[in-house]
Amino acid sequence: MSAMPAPRSAELGGAGPTSLVRTLGLYVLLAVAALAVAFPLLIAFSYSFMAESQIASFPPPILPTRPTLANFQEVVERALRPNSPLPIFHYLLNSFVVSTAVVAGQLVTASLAAYAFAFFAFPGKNLLFLVFLATLMVPWEATIVPNYITVRDLNWLDTYQGLAVPFMATGFGTFLLRQSFLQLPGELYDAAVVDGAGKFRFLWQIVLPLSRPALGTLAVYSFLATWNQYFWPLLVTNQPLMRTVQVGIVQLKFEESTRWGLVMAGVVIVVLPTIILLVLGQRQLVRGLTAGAIKG
Amino acid sequence: MTLQSMPRRRFLLTALATMAAAACSPAQPPAAPPKTEPAKPAAEVKPTTAPAKPAESKPAADAKPSDPAKAAAAPAQKTAAAGKITFWHAMSGVNGEAVNKMVEGFNKSQGDIAVEPSFQGTYDDALAKLKTALASNAAPALIQVYDIGIRFMVDSGEIVPMQEFIDAEKLDMSDFEQNVLAYYKLDDKLYGMPFNTSSSILYYDKDAFKAAGLDSNKPPRTFDEVSEYAQKLTKKSGNEVQQYGFHQAIYGWLFEQYMAVSGELYVDQGNGRDARATRAVYNNDRGKAILDWWKAGVDGGYFGNFGRVTNDNAAAFDARRSVMYCESTARMRGHINASEGKGELGTGFYPRPADAPAEGGNIIGGASVYALKSRSAGEQQAAWEFVKYSTSAPVQAQWQADTGYYPVRKAAYNEPVAKEWIAKYPQFSTAVDQIRAVPLNRITQGAVFGAFPQARQRIEQAIEEVLLGQSSSQDALNRAAEEITTAIDRYNRSTR
Amino acid sequence: MARVQTAAAGRLDARARGRKRARAVRDLGEGLLYLAPSLFLFAVFVFIPLGRTVYLSLFYTSPIGAPREFAGFDHYVDLVTNPAFRRSLGTTFLFVLYTVPGSIVIALGLAVLANRRLRGINVFRTLFSSTIAVSLAVAATIWALMLNPSIGLFNYVLSLVGVRGPAWLTDPTAALISVSLVTIWAALGFNTIVLLAGLQGIPEELYESAKIDGAAGLGIFRNITLPMLSPSLFFLLVVNVIQVFQAFTQVHALTRGGPVEATNVLVYSIYLDAFVNFQFGYASAQALVLFAVILTLTLVQFRVIERRVHYQ
Repeated sequence: MSAMPAPRSAELGGAGPTSLVRTLGLYVLLAVAALAVAFPLLIAFSYSFMAESQIASFPPPILPTRPTLANFQEVVERALRPNSPLPIFHYLLNSFVVSTAVVAGQLVTASLAAYAFAFFAFPGKNLLFLVFLATLMVPWEATIVPNYITVRDLNWLDTYQGLAVPFMATGFGTFLLRQSFLQLPGELYDAAVVDGAGKFRFLWQIVLPLSRPALGTLAVYSFLATWNQYFWPLLVTNQPLMRTVQVGIVQLKFEESTRWGLVMAGVVIVVLPTIILLVLGQRQLVRGLTAGAIKG
Repeated sequence: MTLQSMPRRRFLLTALATMAAAACSPAQPPAAPPKTEPAKPAAEVKPTTAPAKPAESKPAADAKPSDPAKAAAAPAQKTAAAGKITFWHAMSGVNGEAVNKMVEGFNKSQGDIAVEPSFQGTYDDALAKLKTALASNAAPALIQVYDIGIRFMVDSGEIVPMQEFIDAEKLDMSDFEQNVLAYYKLDDKLYGMPFNTSSSILYYDKDAFKAAGLDSNKPPRTFDEVSEYAQKLTKKSGNEVQQYGFHQAIYGWLFEQYMAVSGELYVDQGNGRDARATRAVYNNDRGKAILDWWKAGVDGGYFGNFGRVTNDNAAAFDARRSVMYCESTARMRGHINASEGKGELGTGFYPRPADAPAEGGNIIGGASVYALKSRSAGEQQAAWEFVKYSTSAPVQAQWQADTGYYPVRKAAYNEPVAKEWIAKYPQFSTAVDQIRAVPLNRITQGAVFGAFPQARQRIEQAIEEVLLGQSSSQDALNRAAEEITTAIDRYNRSTR
Repeated sequence: MARVQTAAAGRLDARARGRKRARAVRDLGEGLLYLAPSLFLFAVFVFIPLGRTVYLSLFYTSPIGAPREFAGFDHYVDLVTNPAFRRSLGTTFLFVLYTVPGSIVIALGLAVLANRRLRGINVFRTLFSSTIAVSLAVAATIWALMLNPSIGLFNYVLSLVGVRGPAWLTDPTAALISVSLVTIWAALGFNTIVLLAGLQGIPEELYESAKIDGAAGLGIFRNITLPMLSPSLFFLLVVNVIQVFQAFTQVHALTRGGPVEATNVLVYSIYLDAFVNFQFGYASAQALVLFAVILTLTLVQFRVIERRVHYQ
């Protein structure tokens, strides 16, 4: 890090030795904070390359003395066996398909609803918004049994629909988008509507493009939230080939053993796709709206 | 504000849209048809509860138990036990693979029945899922349920007791481990068939014993001896304990075991086996003695306390933060593996009070499988054929080798694979000796009552209260027993 | 919301009162059209099931959860008189207090730190938001390893800097803190992203004109950053409170509600009653009380706090 060249535009635009020291200090601060936040994840990565005998020792190790791929090998080998009880690659695919479907559904339902809440005036709006928020507050225990029955009656057990459709509307996402839409200058809407441009066209052509960071945040959030579900996928699937990744983690974490290395290898396999998604989507997520921020 | 479009960065949304299109097409469950009814219509099938001519079915004593394929196939020819059935289980990891291996063996051994094993999460997850499925006729033909779930399974009114299949075939059960069967019997009727069986023992590090000047082949037998040994085995540097002499998880099951080896019932009505239990009765002197012993060790700094989570406690032993500990035999193989390069692993009998009466002894633990009534008679019969196969001696011997659970058949120990296994893991003979030495009575059969899962949680809380000095042992036990008595009462009312 | 309402009010004045009602109906219809997809799914998968829960809460249920005997308000009376329920409610509030402010404040710090134009800043932003990629189940698994009473790394690292850590999962005071730590950590990623996006949305001119006016450092932060960020902060407050009230996975994985009820938050106690203790009716009543508590708290937040939120 010390070899890092000075950035072209330091924050306050100044040059000279004080600015350089300042920048270096910033980097140190950033690095320390990043290490602290990512520490648990780094540990998971480190342990996934550790031999079993090294993990169960005291004082606890931080890095593997002799890094090994044995843990990953075991997970992959198990996954590739015919009729494998732990087909983790299928799990990944299923989680991917289901999460994507939920994201698509939520983006549509939530942007429509948030648009109405942010821009329209109609009686009962506040009450309806509260109804949307209320969906977030219902404890999962209260709905899971009847939802199972609904999905079974629809013949949706062991299907992607059964896994995805119940989550395609979101009070959370509607709230998130509403907050973002409210940040748009009101004059835009008034002008556009006076112009006679349809309300839907305004949503499609102005609001959505302007709100891409918020839409991106919702997309990533709901993708990961779906990716991370455990009990619902377990409930509505019986065939191993319809299961999702979190079920796989539980399968690796079996009661009779404490094979942390193996479990961490499973954790890494499950977390890696979402980390990659985050790396790809991160700029999209926090990209600013203003001209200044864009020009950078 | 400028409205700049950034086409290059649209990847997220466009990618999502494309994927969404793919995702909306229906799932393709590979090959398997959605719901299979038994191959033959139910009308042809005689109800399992009263098979056509029981006299015709050969007593299984004739069928060689060492030939599982034959044992399973023979009766299948007479009853219409055909089709595809689902078997829900809670075995993950290595044990899950052992289940699949067993099922594959069965499916290959005959051509009429295809069992499809399906992992359903932890025991609690599987039971929660069963409750949900029972409400909507989506239950499997066969399900594995943990030991203490027996009262619930019986009260659900949704199972076909194993005894009905056994009686219908006049199956000879004499080769089964009677101590194991006894747990799953109520009124002398077998409800669930033992599937995976374990018990509790003492693990210790022989090298640590030698280092402390103790005889490494003489593990402690009584509470007092455990305390005495633990004091000698504890290593400190300053005030910091480097190595504890003994520990065990704050786990209700272990307390239940201690009550049983102390010769005491857990609930009234003969542990809920003579009639429905109405009261928890462990708040007596024996119960108090267990907690006082435990607390004295923790206070004295020679028993470690690693909390409720059993995995954490296992890890503490594997890392030798403590060199004696009590746990289930199911963990033995894990401990043998983890002991490589550390200290040699020893096993001993589960500790008991020095003055324990002769009628005390360990209760078995683990899980059994239940056949569900809501499936067709053909599916029920198919489930039974699989159960029979799973309990045959060679299958049980292989099961033990794959998982470390006890065989449920005595003859299994004669199988080569079992002999090999015992030779490889001599530590396991302690476990076998211990379970065989138990006198069979209401105490050692173990308690049966509806609020058992809750009771287990509650006693764990009581143990914590005592170990943390928040309550005296007698008060903690009294309060726990009182609450559980209320819970039992509430449960009993709900089944009326 | 205020902006839209005044605009609407202005328009209303210009029109005849008689058309007001017709217009209101039309507006409502139009609004509902946009809400319809969500409302339909909510009806099927949230509110109808919730109705069933209300129904079950009035019954004693069989072990498999079927209503057996009418209980009236017995379960609710039980709840009010049961000290265990009150303790559980108290634990839940304490848990919210431990986690929500901490998580938002730390995330705010990270977001401010990462809101600069430096080379490689995206690497840091990604690391700061990395926990969004981790499920609670996985987070709990990793922390279980780090807080493990015997081989835990956390205390070992602390001991290297001379701090003697408590028995994180077995000491009743420390256990709730441990679960809170995991919760804060898991929430950091999302919170940081939201705040960072909010910070990026603040027009640079605002800062520049403030500097011209002679404001600096903390003054700018207080007078410009915080107000402009208030919609994001408010959103996070509401959402975090709701989520923490429903935190289940980390409790289940780390402490199972113990030691001595120290982490027995309400959703966990509902889970036990519903799926372990065979008391579905009683669990339903608890679920509804929890729902009511969160609803009230959210309403209060909207009434009291949203007023101070600055929308452009």
